[in-house]
Amino acid sequence: MKGWFSKLSMNAKLGLLLLVLGVVALFIGNPYDRATATIDTAELAEIVQREVDHVAPEQLADWIIQGRADYRLIDLRTPEEFEQYHIPGAENVAITGLADHGLLRNEKIILYSEGGIHSAQAWFLLRAKDYDGVYILRGGLQDWKDSVLFPSLSADATPAQRVTFAKMAEVSTFFGGQPQGVAAAARPSVATALPMVKIPAAAPVAKSPPPKKKKKEGC
Amino acid sequence: MIAPFYKFGLFGDNVSLVMAFVIGIGFGFALERAGFGSARKLVAQFYLTDLSVFKVMFSAIVTAMVGLFFLAAFGLVDLSLVYLTPTYLLPQIVGGLILGVGFVVGGYCPGTSCVAAATGKYDGFVFLAGVLAGSFVFAEAFSLVDDFYYATPMGSITLPQQFHMSYGLLVFAVILMAVGGFAGATRLERWMASRKEARA
Repeated sequence: MKGWFSKLSMNAKLGLLLLVLGVVALFIGNPYDRATATIDTAELAEIVQREVDHVAPEQLADWIIQGRADYRLIDLRTPEEFEQYHIPGAENVAITGLADHGLLRNEKIILYSEGGIHSAQAWFLLRAKDYDGVYILRGGLQDWKDSVLFPSLSADATPAQRVTFAKMAEVSTFFGGQPQGVAAAARPSVATALPMVKIPAAAPVAKSPPPKKKKKEGC
Repeated sequence: MIAPFYKFGLFGDNVSLVMAFVIGIGFGFALERAGFGSARKLVAQFYLTDLSVFKVMFSAIVTAMVGLFFLAAFGLVDLSLVYLTPTYLLPQIVGGLILGVGFVVGGYCPGTSCVAAATGKYDGFVFLAGVLAGSFVFAEAFSLVDDFYYATPMGSITLPQQFHMSYGLLVFAVILMAVGGFAGATRLERWMASRKEARA
C-alpha cells in the first residue's frame, strides 16, 4: 500500500488528495450554516457615531434609477401601509420576520420604516446577528417623500441649492412624485406635501419602474 | 480567531492597506516565479503549447475553494461575511470577452502586466499604459455605457443557490473538473510538443 502511493508523482499525489477532499466535501453540509458571531459593541457605537450606516434618500433614488441590484431594500411597515405605497423594489418584512426572510450576511441591506426608529431597531437586531452590510434609509419614508417625491425649494435658496433642486425635480417625476416649485415652497410646504402622498400610491403601481430615461446624478 | 479578520475588526483600514500591500507583493512574486512575467509564456497558452496559465489559475481556484469550504465547515471562516461580487450576467460576459481579446493581443492580463513592468520589461510598461488609458476612457465615458453596465442584474448569487444543489456537490464537481483538466492539459502539451518535433 505504502509502496504504491510513494511511486506516484507529486502531481498525482496532490490530485489524489484533492479528490479525497472532494469526496469528503460531498458529505459536509452547507458551509454558510456554521457562522458564529459576537457583538462588538464598541465597533457598533463607532459606526453609529460616524453615521456610516446611513443611506440618503437621494442616493437610493439614484441606485433605483440605475437599476442596481447589489442591495436589498426592506420595508418594515405593515402590509397595509406597504400596499398603499412603497419604494420601488422594496420587500415587505415585519421586524419579527427578519431572521427568517432569507437575508444573507454578505448582502447590502437597506432598511426603512415610516420614520427612523423601527429601522434603527431592526439595524441593531441584524447587526447583533452579524449582518455586516446593514444600512438605514436616512429619515425613513418621511424623508423619501420630502426629498425625492416632493422636493421643495425655499424662497431664499442659494444657486447651488437651486441646481440640486432642478436635478431632484427630475428624479421626483421619475418616481411619480411632484416637485414643489419655488412659489409653493413657502413655509407650509409640509402641509401641501402630506395630502399629495396619495398620488404616488396610485401612480407607481409597477414594482420597479423600467429605467427608460436615465438621469445622471453627479456620478 | 475567526476569519475574515478585517470584517471581525481584528485590524482597521490602515492595517488592511498594509496587508493588501504584503499580499499583493506575494502575489506578484508568485506570478513572476511561475514565469508569468513573460508575454511569450502567457500567450503560449493560446497556442496550446504551454498550459501553465490554465494550471496555475485552476490550482489557485481549487486551493481557495477547498480551503474556504473546509475552514468554514470547521467554523474558522464565516463565509457569510465574505464579499460576493454581484452578478450582472450579460455585461460581465461581454467584459470577460473584451479582457480575453486584450489578453491575446497584448500578451498580458492586468496583473501579469504589473509583474512584467516590475521586472523592467518594455512591453509590460506599454501594456500598463494601455490599462491606465483604457480605465480613464472607460471612466470618462461611463455615462454612455452605464445602461448596459447595470443590465441583467442578478444580485449576489452563488451557483449552488441558483441551481439548488449542495455546496459539497459543487466542490466535488469543480475538483473533478480540475483534476481532469490538469491531466488533459499535460497530455495536450505533450501531444503539441511531439507534433512540433515531427514537423521539425
